[in-house]
Formats: sequence, structure tokens, C-alpha cells
Amino acid sequence: MKFEILTPRNTRRIVVFALALLAGYLVSRFRPEGLTEAGRLTLGIFTTAAILWVVEPFPLYVTSFIVVILEVVLLGRTGGPLGLSGSGYTLFLHPFFDSVIVLVLGGYVLATAIKRYGLDERLSRGILRRAGTRPKVVLLAMMGTAAFLSMWISNTAATALMIAVAIPIVTSMAADDPFRIAMMLGIPFASNIGGMATPIGTPPNAIAVGILANMGQEMSFIEWMYRGVPAAVALLVVCWLVLCRLFPPKVQHISIEFKEQGKIGRKPLFVLGVFAVVVFFWLTTGWHGIPSSIVALFPVVVFFGLRLLKDEDLQDLGWGILFTIGGGMSLGAAMRASGLSAWMVEQIPLGGMPTVVVLLTFSVGAAIMTSFIANSATANLLLPIVVGVAAVSPKTSAVVVALSASAAMVLPISTAPNAIAYGSGQFTVRDMARAGSLVTGVAVVVITILIYAIF
Amino acid sequence: MSNKSGEGQEGARVEHCPGCGSVDVRNNVYFCKGQPVKVYVQCSSCGEFVARYTLRAYTSNKTYESLLERMRFSKLTSGKRTLRIVEGFGDDIAKEYDHVLELVRTGEDQRRIEEIIAEDYSEDL
Repeated sequence: MKFEILTPRNTRRIVVFALALLAGYLVSRFRPEGLTEAGRLTLGIFTTAAILWVVEPFPLYVTSFIVVILEVVLLGRTGGPLGLSGSGYTLFLHPFFDSVIVLVLGGYVLATAIKRYGLDERLSRGILRRAGTRPKVVLLAMMGTAAFLSMWISNTAATALMIAVAIPIVTSMAADDPFRIAMMLGIPFASNIGGMATPIGTPPNAIAVGILANMGQEMSFIEWMYRGVPAAVALLVVCWLVLCRLFPPKVQHISIEFKEQGKIGRKPLFVLGVFAVVVFFWLTTGWHGIPSSIVALFPVVVFFGLRLLKDEDLQDLGWGILFTIGGGMSLGAAMRASGLSAWMVEQIPLGGMPTVVVLLTFSVGAAIMTSFIANSATANLLLPIVVGVAAVSPKTSAVVVALSASAAMVLPISTAPNAIAYGSGQFTVRDMARAGSLVTGVAVVVITILIYAIF
Repeated sequence: MSNKSGEGQEGARVEHCPGCGSVDVRNNVYFCKGQPVKVYVQCSSCGEFVARYTLRAYTSNKTYESLLERMRFSKLTSGKRTLRIVEGFGDDIAKEYDHVLELVRTGEDQRRIEEIIAEDYSEDL
């Protein structure tokens, strides 16, 4: 294949980039009342970032770096509108090694070790072995496993593993059995839902925790789980009921063949032990006072230090997502410093609305956006705005938006797990939209009410 | 005929046994937990050691299942990008496979594989 720079695809990328810059420039030329020069320039950057994150001419992390360049050139240079000088511009770089980035990095290392030593596969087959042969129970077991795994490993990885486990079961069922669809839809939906439960489960959660921390509103691991786990469990049950109702099984029993699993080796056992210790320390930050981000460095030191993970694993660690999260938080920092967040919040007509309605509006907005764009992009664009709304506490708004950004189940492009499952060819877009729109609809209501009630 | 390789060029060649020149080879796949999988290529005709490949990615003719294996280490979050990968994966491999067969048929590169790697791809290492 010839190496060329100006391929049709690259030309399209450059055109979209130029249009995004132009749109940003034009928006920054408006002079709305109450917005400073720094605010107008940040609005331009926000517009450019929004277009690039929505259209995705580049990977999401490339847009994050474009955001930083624009921030430093337009706002952070010496003599710029923010009045920064010298190394003041590093305000926009700090988010890239924020405590939440370290937390997610540690989570990724833990997840890589779990996968490298086959613990995820062992767990999934172990649970399935005990689930019996009744189709609805098997589905619940598969969804529960996918959700549990995606609390700790990426939703994409959990889906890929569980679909590989499900394919032999699904193909052993009659071609006209609608329950095949339930099995294949249940896994990505459950992975999306499971990711809500922990701060490291999916990027929007990490972005929310990071943005809150930068506002002085620290949210511990257990604090997040106190809200995320009930929401995830409730949605998992709802989703299971919807799938069983829409795609009922034609048979009473399904056949499942299991690969023999040998005895667990010492290395996987050691990895499991480290995982247990790390999770224990994450959940007990209140007792020992060690920040969860520092706890997250423990598996990094142990696994790479003892060569249980190799240098190649470090290269494959998901740096793109970490940079995407960093870019979102950097944009949030610019929006706060320039007064754009506060100005945008003033423009939202929320006067006199009950809190629960405000939250429902945020939730619906996040779910709709995530149906069409990446959930991390949704979080990057919405979170810096909603946390400034005075009518609701920042923690409540942030959690509602972050969880709702994982609630999009309508289309294959809505989330990466949806796309992977769609690739199996076992269901149509219409099947996914039918079940997914119901689950998403219920999800926004459940998330809003539950989080409102818990806070 | 040899394709001149250099920047912007491409090529393909068939692995030959250094002992007898045969192109009939047998792949012996070696795996050890925690290490990358290695393939020891043996000549089917004379039994000579031909080469060792260290695998970074593997795709069988069941491309979707291979993709799932690969995705187990993926942290993609964009549905659009993932869908592009999922939809294009099998087709891209099939197209490239046909293209490689055509290159081998019409103009096999005569250089040794280590020369090709050293000259063309050392920047990527």
C-alpha cells in the first residue's frame, strides 16, 4: 500500500479541521453581553473542540492536544487575555497528569494484568458453569459477569470477552429463536451499565471525578460506588427484563459446552491478590487517608517491577483515552479560568425549575449526545458546564451526566461495546434501536431519581 | 522482477528455505504464558529451520473472532471508530490478501526479509 499524505481521507480530515477552526474563529468574534475577551476566545476553542469531537476526523486524543495548543496560544501566552506569564500556561497542561489520570492509569494496569493472566476468562466461564441451562438465567449470568468485569476493565474489553464466550451458545440455538438477539444485545448493554459503577469503569466517570476535584469537591472511590452501584444494579435488572420481554426464548434449556479449566497458577493467583489489595485500599481511603490515585500506582510498581507485565504492555495501556480525559479537563480549566462556564450557565433557562427536572434535562441531554458521539466527548463538553449550575450541587450534576453518558444503547455507533456486538451480525440496527431506546428511556429516569434521592 | 523498495513503495515475497530453496513450510507455534507467541518456521521438504516470527497480532479466517480476541486488550471508547474497525476488518484483510497474492505473482521482492525490515521499517522499531 503506497504511503501518501494527501489521500482522500486525509484531505477530508484537513477540510473538517479547517472548518472547525473557522467556526471557532467566527464564534469568538461575537460579543455577547457579559463575556470577557478570554471567555470569547475560550468559546471559540470550545466550538472547535466540539466539532472535532463530534465529527471525529481525528482520534479523540488528537483533538485534546489541539485544545491545549489553542489554549496556550490564545489564552495562556505571556501578555494574553488571562494575564498569565512565564510558566503560567502549564495550567492547561497539569490536567494531563492529574490525580484522576493516575487513578485511571493504575486501573488500566490492573485490567491488563487481569486479562494477561486470563482471570477475566476464568471468572466468566466459572459463573456461566454455575448458571445452569435455563436461557433467562444464563442471560442474567452473562450480563452480570459483563457488568462486573466492566467495573474494572474497559467496557470494550469486557464486551469482546463475553461475546466470544456467547457466540458458541448463540450459534447452538435455532436460527429463528429471538433469544439469540437478547443474548447478543445483553452483553454490550450490560458492559455499558457496569462501567457506571466505579470511577475507573469508563472515561466519563473519571472526567467527572477530575473536574469535581479541580473545583475542590473531592469524590472518593467508595463515594462514587455508593451512587454508581445502585444505579448499575437497577439498570441491569431493567435491561434484562426488557430483553426477556422483547426477545423471549423458544426453548426451555440451552446447551453450553465448557472448556476444561486447569488449576489456577501461582502468577494469576498473585495478580488476583494484588487486585484484592488495591480494591480494598480504594474502598477504605477514609480510614487510611492514602489517596486512591496513589493506591493506583501500587499495581504499576508491582506488575512492571516484577516483570509480570512487559514494556509492550506499557505501550498498549490506553494512553489515547488518558489524553482524551486530560484534554477534557484542560478545556474545563480554561472554561473556568476565562469565566465561560459561569457565563454559559447563566444562559441556560433554568429559573424556578425543580431540581429533579433540571437533573432530568441534563440526563436526557447527555444520553442523546452520547447516542451519536463518544461518551468521553459528551462528558468533556457537558461536565464543565453543568457543574456550575447553582440550582444543583456539582456532585449531583456531575454524577447524573457521567452516568447518563454511559446510558446510550440505541445505535451501534452509540458506544464501542454496541459496535462490537453489532459486528457479530446476529441482530439488526432496528433490533438494537427497539430494545436500546426502551433501556435508555428508563435509564435516564432511573439515574435521575436514584441520584437525586441518594444525594 | 523485483519491486524497488523505498519510501512510498511496497512489496511482497515468499519465504524460501535457506537450505533447499523450497517454499513448502510448516509453522510451529510456540506459546508460554506471559511471553509473546512465536512461530518457528520449518522447511517441510528438508526439515531445516527457516525463520522465527514473534507475533504481535493474529487473524484467522474467522476474522470476527480474531477481532474479538484483539479487542480484549482494547480501550476504544468511540462507537463510530469501533464500528469502522469492526465493519472494515474482515474486508480490509481480504482485500490486502488478494493484493499481496497479486504482488507476489507479478513482482516478488528478491531481497532477504531481514534486509527489507532493516531498510524499510527500522524507523518503526
